[in-house]
Amino acid sequence: MTSQPTRAARAMLTVAIVCGVAAVALSVYADAALHGGRTVVGSWLPFTAACLAIAASALFMLIGDSFPSAPPFILAGAVACLLAGSYLGLFVAPPEHFMGEVQRIMYVHVPTAWSALLALTFAFGCAIVSLFTGAWKWDAKLEGGVEVGVLLGFLLCCQGAIWAKPTWGVWWDWDPRLTTTAVLVCAFLGILALRHFVDDPVKRATWSAVATIIAYVDVPIVYYSVRWWNSLHQMQSSPETVSPQFYLPLRLNAFGVLFLMTGFIVLRSRIAAARIATELAPPPPELLGELA
Amino acid sequence: MTGGYVTGGWSFVWAAYGWTALVFATYGLSLFLRIRKSR
Repeated sequence: MTSQPTRAARAMLTVAIVCGVAAVALSVYADAALHGGRTVVGSWLPFTAACLAIAASALFMLIGDSFPSAPPFILAGAVACLLAGSYLGLFVAPPEHFMGEVQRIMYVHVPTAWSALLALTFAFGCAIVSLFTGAWKWDAKLEGGVEVGVLLGFLLCCQGAIWAKPTWGVWWDWDPRLTTTAVLVCAFLGILALRHFVDDPVKRATWSAVATIIAYVDVPIVYYSVRWWNSLHQMQSSPETVSPQFYLPLRLNAFGVLFLMTGFIVLRSRIAAARIATELAPPPPELLGELA
Repeated sequence: MTGGYVTGGWSFVWAAYGWTALVFATYGLSLFLRIRKSR
C-alpha cells in the first residue's frame, strides 16, 4: 500500500537525509573536538546531534510509505554506523576503570534502551492520531512501532542480564528498573497478542490504540525508576558524565540502532498496511455469488 | 570480581554483541520474508 510521493514528501525525505548525515557528522566533530581538548561535550553539540538523528528517524517513519526503496538505504546506513561504532567500542575505546571490559556492553545496551523507548513513543503517537483520525495508515504504523519496541525491549533485557551477571553476580534481580522494563515488554506483547486475536479491523484498531496509550504510562516510569527508587541499576549518564573516549562509539551505535529501528518500523508498517488493505477490500464477485 | 573491580569478562561482551547481531539479523530476515509473502 504505497502512494506516489508528493512534493512535500520529497522535501521531507531530503530534510531527513540531511538531518541524519548532519547528526553523524556533528558527533564525529564533537569527538574530534573532545580529543583536541575542547570542552564541546556538555554544550549544545551532542544534544543537537541527537535531536537531528531523532528528527531524521521520525521523518523517515512518517513518509516511509511513499518511498518503497528507502528502507534498504536506511538499513545500510544503520549497519555502517553499527559496524563503525562496534569496532571503536570493542577495539579502540579503553576499558572502564571499575567494570573493565564488561563495560563495552554499554555500547549496544544503552542505544537499544533509547531506541526501545523511542519506538514505543512512536507507537503512542500513532495511537493518539489513529484514535482521532481513524486513518488506517496510523493503525499500521502503530503495529510496526509496537512490534519493533517489543523486540528492542526483549533484546534490552537480554543484554542487561548478560551485563548483570559479571557485575552484580546474578542474571536478573527484581529491581525497580528491571521490573518496570519487564512489565513494559509484557504489556506491549499483550497488545500484539490482542491485535493477533481480534479479527474485526475497526475494533482491533480502537482497542489496540487505547491499550497502547494505557501501556505507555510505564515508559516514563521505566525512565525515572532509577531516580524515584533505590535501584541497583545506575542512573542515566549525560554528556558531562561520559568519558570522552566512550563518546563516539556510544553515539555511532545509538544512531545505528535508531536507524535500524526506523527501517524495521517502516517495513513492518508496510506489512501491516498490506494486511489491512486485504481485510478491508470487498470480497471477490465469485464469493458474493456463492453467498447469494 | 576482585576488590570491586571486574576482571576479564570478554566472553560476556562477545555474548552481548553476538546475541544482538543475531536478533537483528533474524528479525530483518523475517521482515524480508513477510514482505515477500504479502506481495
